[in-house]
Amino acid sequence: MLDTLQIILIYTFIFGSLYLLVTLGFTIICGVLRIFNLGYGITFLIAVYGVWIFTKELGFGLIPAILGMIILQCAFTLGVIYFPIVKRYAEKEELLLTSLLLVALIVEQAINYQYPVTAGVNIPTTIIPGSIKIGLTTIPIQMLVVAGIAIITTIAVLLFLLKTKIGLVIRAVSQDSESSQLMGANVNVVYAIAMILAVIPPTIAILTIAPVWSIDPQLGGPLLQIAILVSILGGLGNIKGTIMAAYIVGFVASAVAFLINPKLMNLAILVLVLIVLMFKPQGIARSESLW
Amino acid sequence: MLLSLENVTKKFGGVVANNNISFSVEKGEIVGLIGPNGAGKTTVMNIISGTFKPDAGKIVFDGKDITSLPPDKICQTGIARTYQIPRPFPDLTALANACVGVLCGKKRHAMSYGDAMLDASHYLEFVGLFGKRNTLARDLTLFELRGLELARALATTPKLIMIDEVMAGLNPGEARKAIRLIERIIDEYHVTILWIEHVMKVIMEATDRVVVLHYGAKIAEGKPKEVANDPVVIEAYLGEKYA
Amino acid sequence: MVKIEHKRAHFLVHLGNFKFEHTIEPRYWRNPLIAIAFLFILPALIAGRADMLSLLTTANIYALIAIPLAWQMVGIGRMNFGPQFFLAIGGFTASLLSIHFHWGPWQTLPCVLVMGLIFGLLLSPFSTLAKGLYFSLITLVLPLIFLEITFVYTDIFKGETGLSGVAPLIQTGSIRMDYVVGAYMSLVLMLIFLLIVDKVLRSRFGIYAAAINDDEDVARGLGLNINKWKFICFTITSMMVTMAGWFAAHYYGNFAGITYLPLSFMLKVLLMVMIGGRGEIYGSIIGAYFVALLEKALTFLGPINYVVFPLILLILLFSLPEGLYGLYRRHKYKEYYPTIKVRNR
Repeated sequence: MLDTLQIILIYTFIFGSLYLLVTLGFTIICGVLRIFNLGYGITFLIAVYGVWIFTKELGFGLIPAILGMIILQCAFTLGVIYFPIVKRYAEKEELLLTSLLLVALIVEQAINYQYPVTAGVNIPTTIIPGSIKIGLTTIPIQMLVVAGIAIITTIAVLLFLLKTKIGLVIRAVSQDSESSQLMGANVNVVYAIAMILAVIPPTIAILTIAPVWSIDPQLGGPLLQIAILVSILGGLGNIKGTIMAAYIVGFVASAVAFLINPKLMNLAILVLVLIVLMFKPQGIARSESLW
Repeated sequence: MLLSLENVTKKFGGVVANNNISFSVEKGEIVGLIGPNGAGKTTVMNIISGTFKPDAGKIVFDGKDITSLPPDKICQTGIARTYQIPRPFPDLTALANACVGVLCGKKRHAMSYGDAMLDASHYLEFVGLFGKRNTLARDLTLFELRGLELARALATTPKLIMIDEVMAGLNPGEARKAIRLIERIIDEYHVTILWIEHVMKVIMEATDRVVVLHYGAKIAEGKPKEVANDPVVIEAYLGEKYA
Repeated sequence: MVKIEHKRAHFLVHLGNFKFEHTIEPRYWRNPLIAIAFLFILPALIAGRADMLSLLTTANIYALIAIPLAWQMVGIGRMNFGPQFFLAIGGFTASLLSIHFHWGPWQTLPCVLVMGLIFGLLLSPFSTLAKGLYFSLITLVLPLIFLEITFVYTDIFKGETGLSGVAPLIQTGSIRMDYVVGAYMSLVLMLIFLLIVDKVLRSRFGIYAAAINDDEDVARGLGLNINKWKFICFTITSMMVTMAGWFAAHYYGNFAGITYLPLSFMLKVLLMVMIGGRGEIYGSIIGAYFVALLEKALTFLGPINYVVFPLILLILLFSLPEGLYGLYRRHKYKEYYPTIKVRNR
């Protein structure tokens, strides 16, 4: 009994931190731009397959490949998602959501065509190999590393938002974009910066978890579901709520996996999304702003 | 007594929008509801029409307690309202807008869709919008929109119409036309009117009785001339120096 | 007191407090009648080609989903991101009853309708309670939950392979006649749906739907019982989509969750409505036929058609603000052009 509890707590910590990192970008977009980015899964796909293309096809080393991929990521976010879609359809939300979903589908199918599941894509970003035995379970150390990196990244993003001038402007725009414009903030530039900032946490997440997670073109979907769940549970666009919600969802996921049936983990997450949407869509956090 | 509010109180968080308000409206009267900005006049109107529920108090209309009814049932009992910033159905024509009022208001006898359109066009003609009946509501001017709001409210055959600041934004010519229109409405349809207004000239001339609100409480009630000379009212509007 | 009058082209029914009148105006029916006549001759013309008949039936099945969806999105004022949930309910009910109890299609139909009614009633409160964006998310998540359930309870729903062995719609003995009759049945069903939805949207209920879509609070202040009309709209349209699932299950003889439940199918259905002309009924039929034809035409490209197909749809979505229907007929000024609002803040 105590052993199971220990395992559940360890995995709550690991899953919770991972979900936090995955959701952080989604929360930033939701909080600042006030849109629901259903094309969020693309960020993960470009991160992984971008590095793969740079290393395998173009023969770069790992670090140059990651840098190249970041440039590709920013170019894609601004060039395909921000300017053509978000700015055009900011008011007509049905077109916005549909086109974002459609772009996500196109990218997923394109990658599936080029590198199907059988292509054996793997990203050698293992920082500390091997596994460690804690209590009764053996966990790859990489997962603990991921949890640690998640916490460090979250703290870094928070410091950026709280302590720098740009962070202050971003927070102001997230609360009231019209008043911020009247104060002289260039809202379009702030939106672009927020979109690029939102791309960083998911990229870090998927790159560090890649060695221990299966990589296939369909990985965008489940990660998007997790991001939606955690951000809605935590209150849309609120980082405090996201942090709390990530660990709650991590707890539910690991409890279901270890106490009931590992196959039901995805179903449990989906049912939790549904219950939260139906009965408490405002989420647990109270405030309407980013922090 | 057609409408009576008894001790109506409404709080929004820490702000007391309406504090123990009681007044009544007789059948056939024109009652003005005035007060400085933020006095809670539109909140009273929202409570009467059912959009908000009061925290305390009772509203009795035509002998029935309507405090807990939903807005559509309240409309069926005979209360209609217009909005301060006109809210037509932007993608429907003016005729269709009035048609919604005809079809959804009180139960009519044997009204088919075509009959409803005919009835709606009568109301539009009364207001003076018959020529614009096929224009989309989003393309009408402010004055026409105010007329459309009145036509739509009239189409539900109400006993009481609540008019919310119909003069705001109109130039003097349009304001004269609006007052004449409301007078014609009373002559033709014999409705009772509860009128929120800021323009004092209109209140003095057109209303029978005036209720004054200030910071959510009723501070005066009576004939327009009496209220205009009441020191409490003068202090609320102009400050202590002039009281 | 019932009174029915008929004068030249004007038809009037007077029943107590209820009055219904209808004027037959031939000049508005010319184009639709030509199109319907053409569609009726078509299966006879291509009777030899089974793949063409199958394509026609598939297009009609898509239209069976698109027509009620167009009505629903206007009538409840919210965007439904999961119409395939009801499609799957209909399909799975029909398939399971047919496989386990050996019922024919006409025996499963009432059960399918009842299931659609039950789920429609269960979910319709959320069309009033949940604000626009959250309703769309709920409908987005529901089919995904269903898909997971088909995988988890594989023994019942056969997640990976799908159910097969469903009783066919019609058995005339000749396979060619089966295809032709199937095509005609789908055509008749599609025209019935079209007639129902068209009549509803041209009547006072269409005005109610337009008022709900534009400004719910004002409509409520005018005496319109929003909750009642939203419930009715949602339940009836859900039942119609369930019937489409019933038809698909019995026509193809199998039903797999993996075909109909994932996001890719949802996007296909949604884009039929949006590309065809947002909210226009005739437009959604054109959109459905176009998408079915495009899908078939692109198969010759090989596996890359999975990329090209959504890409073409995206380009069309961007470039045609009024959809394909807008190419056929310039939007008349005073027609109601519904805008579906996702956020009702």
